[in-house]
Amino acid sequence: MYESLALKIAGIIVMVLLPPYLDGIARRVKARIQYRRGPPLAQTWYDLRKLFAIPTVLPTKSWMFKAAPYLALASALAAALLLPYGGHVPVNFGYNIIVFFYVVAMVSVFVMLGGFSVQNAFSHLGSAREMTLLLTVEPILAVVYGVFAYNSGSLNLYHIMTHLHLSASLLFAYIILGYALYVESGFVPFDVAEAEQEVIGGPLAEYSGRLLGVFYYAIYIKRFALLWFFVSMVTYPIVGPVHGLAKSVGLFALQLLLTFALYPIIAALEATNARLRIDHIVRTNVKIFFIGLGILAMAFMGW
Amino acid sequence: MAESVSYTEKLKAWNRKEVEKIGEKAPVTTPYPFIDIEKPPEYRGIPHINPEKCVGCGACVNACPPDALIMEWDKEHGVKRLTYNAARCIRCARCIEVCPTGAMEPTTRFEIATNSKEDLVEVVEHRLAYCEECGEYLDFTERQIEYVKNILPKEIFDMYALEDRMKLTQDAKMRVTVEKLRELEGVEYPAYLLAKRGDE
Amino acid sequence: MSKSAFEVEVECECEACEKGKCDSADLVDVLSEREGLKEFYEEFKDSIHECRRLTYGQYLFVIDRDVLPEATLWWHNHPRFKETHMSTAVGTDERAIAGKFSYMPLINVQVEAENMDRNFWVLLKAYMPADDPSFPSVAAKLPAALWIEREVKDLLGFRPIGHPDPRRLILPEDWPEGVYPLRKDMDYRHSPMREPETEFREPPEGTTTVPMGPFHMGIEEPAHFRLFVKGEEIVDVDYRGFYSHRGIEKVGEGRLTYNQVLFLAERICGICGYQHSVSYAMAVERLADVDIPDRARYIRTLMLELERIHNHLLWVGIAAHMVGFDTGFMHAWRIREPVMWLVERLTGNRKQYGMNIVGGVRRDILDYRKEEILKVVKEIREGTKKFLDIALNTNTFIKRAEGVGILPYKIAKAYSVLGPTARASGRRIDARLDQATKTAMAYNEVDFKVPVYKEGDVLARVLVRMDELFESLWIVEQLIDQMPGGDIMVPIGKLPEYAEALGFTEAHRGEVLHYVMTGEKNKVYRWKVRAPTYNNLPAIPDMLRGYNVADAPLIIASIDPCYSCTERVQFVDVRTGRVRVLTEAEFNELSIKNRGVF
Repeated sequence: MYESLALKIAGIIVMVLLPPYLDGIARRVKARIQYRRGPPLAQTWYDLRKLFAIPTVLPTKSWMFKAAPYLALASALAAALLLPYGGHVPVNFGYNIIVFFYVVAMVSVFVMLGGFSVQNAFSHLGSAREMTLLLTVEPILAVVYGVFAYNSGSLNLYHIMTHLHLSASLLFAYIILGYALYVESGFVPFDVAEAEQEVIGGPLAEYSGRLLGVFYYAIYIKRFALLWFFVSMVTYPIVGPVHGLAKSVGLFALQLLLTFALYPIIAALEATNARLRIDHIVRTNVKIFFIGLGILAMAFMGW
Repeated sequence: MAESVSYTEKLKAWNRKEVEKIGEKAPVTTPYPFIDIEKPPEYRGIPHINPEKCVGCGACVNACPPDALIMEWDKEHGVKRLTYNAARCIRCARCIEVCPTGAMEPTTRFEIATNSKEDLVEVVEHRLAYCEECGEYLDFTERQIEYVKNILPKEIFDMYALEDRMKLTQDAKMRVTVEKLRELEGVEYPAYLLAKRGDE
Repeated sequence: MSKSAFEVEVECECEACEKGKCDSADLVDVLSEREGLKEFYEEFKDSIHECRRLTYGQYLFVIDRDVLPEATLWWHNHPRFKETHMSTAVGTDERAIAGKFSYMPLINVQVEAENMDRNFWVLLKAYMPADDPSFPSVAAKLPAALWIEREVKDLLGFRPIGHPDPRRLILPEDWPEGVYPLRKDMDYRHSPMREPETEFREPPEGTTTVPMGPFHMGIEEPAHFRLFVKGEEIVDVDYRGFYSHRGIEKVGEGRLTYNQVLFLAERICGICGYQHSVSYAMAVERLADVDIPDRARYIRTLMLELERIHNHLLWVGIAAHMVGFDTGFMHAWRIREPVMWLVERLTGNRKQYGMNIVGGVRRDILDYRKEEILKVVKEIREGTKKFLDIALNTNTFIKRAEGVGILPYKIAKAYSVLGPTARASGRRIDARLDQATKTAMAYNEVDFKVPVYKEGDVLARVLVRMDELFESLWIVEQLIDQMPGGDIMVPIGKLPEYAEALGFTEAHRGEVLHYVMTGEKNKVYRWKVRAPTYNNLPAIPDMLRGYNVADAPLIIASIDPCYSCTERVQFVDVRTGRVRVLTEAEFNELSIKNRGVF
């Protein structure tokens, strides 16, 4: 009982504190690829601290403008809460993969709403891109989740993770899951919505100070949640359901380790790519969606 | 400048610290504001006026493209003021080229950021030569006179005669000449040439 | 003054000829020196008042203002001289000398590509009476003249009759009517104000305005592109610029001596400063008819090429940054850094070399430095090869650059687009070889190729620049090899009064042109600077139309725009068929008004 509570609390601490550090790692890795020295690992935290301390300039009276960052943060945290930490899920209930799917999407939706609440062409352009991105990547995720759900016969995240059985369709689903989560996270070359050189920050263009900090924080947590989800999807089926403190802690450590290992790879991918155009992305996503459908069909056939 | 040969040697010997790093895989950037950067000896930094060498001739002022060097006369106090403002300086080093006494000294300093604008200004004040005859200050400085004395070929000029005249204003010079001519030749020159300036 | 071989034939000069029938032998000599001159003279015999050679390869015709458009177009559309273009024009307040205003298009005539002894400059000077400074506009038929005619209208109060868009270009909105800054009766310190008022166009039906600028991440300097978009597609473009005007020409004419102007010229641009410096020095040397020592020519060429090398690397870095490929950006600049270090040791500064003086250079290149230069050249060559290998194999980068921002040859010629932008569109022009640079630079004594691509897209511009970079490295190696000894400068005493000449170099963006007319007492009476971006920027709307908003920063960056050099005289807007202007307040208003892209 206590160990479950302890692990849940540990999970919450990780989801709150770790994401900016992960970004710090990415910045460091990118810097090294670019032969730069790079900032300290805690630089993202310093940035956030500074942003939190600065009051926001309000360009509009719309309440959405002020609420959007906090709602996005809440959605991101909610997504992270649905994931298992060392075999224990802080908030676990029935069909929570659907909830997870929605709260992750909600982060993007709130970013968009924030962007649309101001009268700035760049905000609107960026929000429109975010929407396009969301509309093309979510179907892929839905299909992939469908494969997993069918494979494990459940709509509960933890249950899915622990009840998958190996099949060809599952392996393909993993590949597509990786791609979709990468796109959803908005890493280069898929960072079109916030592209600085093109739409000067897109939906975030009018944000400043504390609200901008909250948005950034929400986005980091969302990225963490998506990565953690992927890591969990990889580790749990292999390790299986765990009991006992030692094993749980071990699993938790394994999850952390994989997260730390994957983030530099993402950073390297980011550093070695140019930003794509939204029409490129849409075309690729549509292609992958149909492949996803094929895999779903495979799963139904039991392959 | 006596060691000009060794200056070339110095140039040859100087090596940039960062150069070694650029070949390696290691980061090539430096944590710059937190470390000092050494500029090569050829670097044209902000110049510096050596007040010991400056004679106040103003050659630099004429050459300076952005008016970073300004010359002012304060006849009341008998002062000629040469002001160098690093904030206006474009570091073209024209002043260094034209300075006849080498008073404009090149440096390799390039960081001139400061909290107070006064830190950027160098002022050299020269005493103007004083004309005993008419009690006025001349346009040029005492040092300029000394400098001219030193570079004039002694064989050609009668130094003693010069000594008398040099520190006189244009008016006084003329008067002295006229007086002398009168003495020597007894020629009548118009009296207005002898009148002191303040007399009318 | 010693005269080298090519100077001997410049002895004769044809001074003022009587109207229409200049039958002096000198005129015949002058006209037979270059192809096309006689033809032109025959064609416009009745309107030519005077013709003379200013200096080697520069011919001045004083013509009636009525035939300005025909004469300009005669050269520009000459069937044999295919790459001929109108470089720019100069308006001068000559009331103090001649009691008239003058307007003078400068035409770069290309008889044969890369032959500096056959090509030449034609200056078509037309005088206008002081009380009626107007001339027939050529802009309707030749877009290259659009900006310059509006510029002289703003700065000198000339009236281009029949200009398709006679609105304010250079002057800011709060500048009063009837005050013309470049007229000689205006003091350079005078700065009048009025209430700002502007004219600007409504966006096309069904589009949204995306204001790029005046401050935008993708544009390093203040410039304002208004993109009229449908969704993400650019329907039309609007440009407003000249925010960073510094009044350099006025200061140069008002206050400085000819050697001080040189340092001002170097500061026109932070990137191609040395090109401006050499161009200006060349113009003054040409009008004073001074030959500079060979060693000075070589050192100048060396520095120019080193500048080109690091500027191309800078540019390719920026281009990578524009598409979010920051690794390419950082590495391009890492490769560039040793060049900066090298020039710092050669000249005393990383940029703004301060190497030039009219009549030569100020610092000699010490012999042991040659090894160091060659070492850096080798490093750069290897580094750049590796970099290109990576960049051109980055799929996402190629995807963004290929087939984007296409500039057809026809438009490139009509706008007189210059430099790598033109060469990527198939124009075979390079002022280094096309015009007589041999008096100030040593390009005639080295061997190199001018890369030309036909595609006209952003990728072609990248490739042209990179090919050029390798050629530049090769030039540097040759220069080091052939560096002659001797003096590095000749002193110039007094300048002739009211003499005029052109100086030009090929900067990494295109041909830089300086026109200098001397005044009394070693001062400059008229100094006209034409940076290459001035010709390239008007073609941007044609490159942007039909592409995505996402491509806009890359396309704009692909001409390597330099707003400050272009705007050494004050405010611009590009035309796309229609032109418009916009103020800050209206821009804010607009962004509030036009809400919602979808």
